[in-house]
Amino acid sequence: MSEKKKQVSRRQFLNYTLTGVGGFMAAGMLAPMVRFAIDPVLQTRERGGFSAVVDVDELTNEPQRFDWQIDQVDAWYESKVTRSAWVYKKEDGTIMALSPICTHLGCVVSWQGNDDYPDQFYCPCHGGRYTKEGVNIPNTPPPAPLALYEQKEEEGTLFLGKAIPREGA
Amino acid sequence: MQMNRKDLEQFIEAKEYVDTLLIPLSPVSINGDEQGKKVVFQGELLQIFCNEIEKYYTGRIFLFPPYYYLVNGSYQNEVERLNKWVGAAKEHPFEHVFFLTFDHFWKKQEKNIDGHLLWFPTMTSGDLHSKENQSLIKEQIEQIKQLITSYW
Ligand code: FES
Repeated sequence: MSEKKKQVSRRQFLNYTLTGVGGFMAAGMLAPMVRFAIDPVLQTRERGGFSAVVDVDELTNEPQRFDWQIDQVDAWYESKVTRSAWVYKKEDGTIMALSPICTHLGCVVSWQGNDDYPDQFYCPCHGGRYTKEGVNIPNTPPPAPLALYEQKEEEGTLFLGKAIPREGA
Repeated sequence: MQMNRKDLEQFIEAKEYVDTLLIPLSPVSINGDEQGKKVVFQGELLQIFCNEIEKYYTGRIFLFPPYYYLVNGSYQNEVERLNKWVGAAKEHPFEHVFFLTFDHFWKKQEKNIDGHLLWFPTMTSGDLHSKENQSLIKEQIEQIKQLITSYW
């Protein structure tokens, strides 16, 4: 994109955003919707370090983002932290649950986050990219694939545990 | 990244990737009147906004501790002091400096401060945990995130 074009869209964006609450909210509605709401049924179900994340029926071949909360306790604080995963079913039916944390410096990646790379995960910070399997694409900054969550399935519900890092590709 | 030892160490190693500084401008008041409660509420909200933004862009944004100031103090002096803060932070060459605030007084000082002021109106009271407010807040955060990335 040329610098000039960028300038214009930045200014438009500023106007749009800063004119007031009305503009703000209208713009908000146009923003791509991500699954933010945490299903109350799933909220409290935790078993041995695994949390209920989603009904397996809801999964498709397209990665979808799911959020859930866990209790994190360390020496000084006890807090609820939100975890997220990009989850989809592979052709053979196995489930992939990828951590959205970029292995470069930790920003949050999104599936199809950049129109130029429709079938990849994209990191907005320094343009890191990953295949649908979460494998880092050479010559982009990330040194390793996205971490994979430990998973298990019980009564049609997908439970996710810890995110396990994978070796560099 | 945030102002703690672990992040600071990472920052020093990966400096060339962290080109954006975010500073929350947070008024304080210990007055229990309506105005005071509003100020404190907005301070909480501001911290939520900043933490969320930092979480998304942790590899590129350094989140400074909030710049606190008295709500009834002189803004003229604040501008001077704030610019000193930024000056110190800018010993590392941050390319983009953003201030985030809900306090419209800064709007008038915009041209005197050394960075981009992101001011906008938001709620002044309410339950931060209710479903409706959560989705409203998330939408606003989404907008600010897009605004910041439009500068990159
Ligand atoms: S943090 Fe993702 S590419 Fe740098």
